[in-house]
Amino acid sequence: MKKLITLTYDFFVIGLFTIGGGYAMIPLMRQTFVETRKYLTEEEFLEMLAISQITPGPIAINMATFIGYREGGLIGSALATLGVVLPSFIVILVISIFFANLTAIPQVKKFLLGILTGVVGEIIYITFDIFKKAKKTIFYLLVLTLSLVELFILKINPIYVILIGGALGIIFGKFFEGENASS
Amino acid sequence: MLLLRLFVEFFKIGIVTFGGGQAMLPLLQHSFVTELGWITQERFLYFVSVAEVTPGPVALNMATFIGYELDGVIGSAFATLGVVMPSFLVILAIAHFEKKFKENILYKRFMLGVKPVIVALLINAIYLIVGRGFVGFIPYLMALGSLIVFIFYRKSPLLILLVAGVIGVFVLR
Repeated sequence: MKKLITLTYDFFVIGLFTIGGGYAMIPLMRQTFVETRKYLTEEEFLEMLAISQITPGPIAINMATFIGYREGGLIGSALATLGVVLPSFIVILVISIFFANLTAIPQVKKFLLGILTGVVGEIIYITFDIFKKAKKTIFYLLVLTLSLVELFILKINPIYVILIGGALGIIFGKFFEGENASS
Repeated sequence: MLLLRLFVEFFKIGIVTFGGGQAMLPLLQHSFVTELGWITQERFLYFVSVAEVTPGPVALNMATFIGYELDGVIGSAFATLGVVMPSFLVILAIAHFEKKFKENILYKRFMLGVKPVIVALLINAIYLIVGRGFVGFIPYLMALGSLIVFIFYRKSPLLILLVAGVIGVFVLR
């Protein structure tokens, strides 16, 4: 019982301090679960992180489900996930309920638009970073080009664009695996 | 059956969200602004800017926002549940069966094809924000400025975004 409360609390704190993308909370999770609580070894933590990065959904949710299940079974994973979700849920609800018309104030509108320009800078940075680190095989560049055509010219639902990319990977991936083994 | 629709729409998006919250902005935009027309473009961009500077993953914040906009507190609960459920179930399955999941050859190949799509989605996300939210040349200058800051000092994205907001109050029209 005590462990379940600790688990929920830990993830609540992590959720609360994760502002600006899941990567911000990786050091905090490492600190909490490897060093303070000693639930996981360094190696186990990195293994979980690797799986969380290639499975669907925010890393924070994946890690909460993972660690919660290990420490407290099904209930543990549900509570840990609830813990990490609650802070953002509450904060956004409070904003929605009490500040529904924030944009009616010109200064606030400009403030939020200013943030948006920062977000664009951030996404451009992330995009370059991912592209730079990727193994740029012919397959990679072709799927990237095809996806851009699908999104910008054909205007296909992005969900299908992802699934088409995955399907092409399954069909043609075996010819490019050797070149992509490391990442 | 708005609640069910909300749950299903977010569930579908949750399944295919690989590689961080920003990559799924085009998915949300397509579903809720273009296809269903439940949210206006302006509202959508407002949500994006708030979601980026409040606690929690961007995907979750967007779900709570859109859910509340459409059906109040219960709507945001269903939307959040929808976007969380796929990752919850997938990880539960992996944790329970302890299969050599990462070595699964089909999944590896699937991800090989998904990775380049993520880059395309991010480019699409940039275009969506710039094309619909930027008026005049000042926002472009600010975006360029923050990109330069991100390249040299990426320690605190939140701080960079908040500073961009404050600058915006003074220079944007």
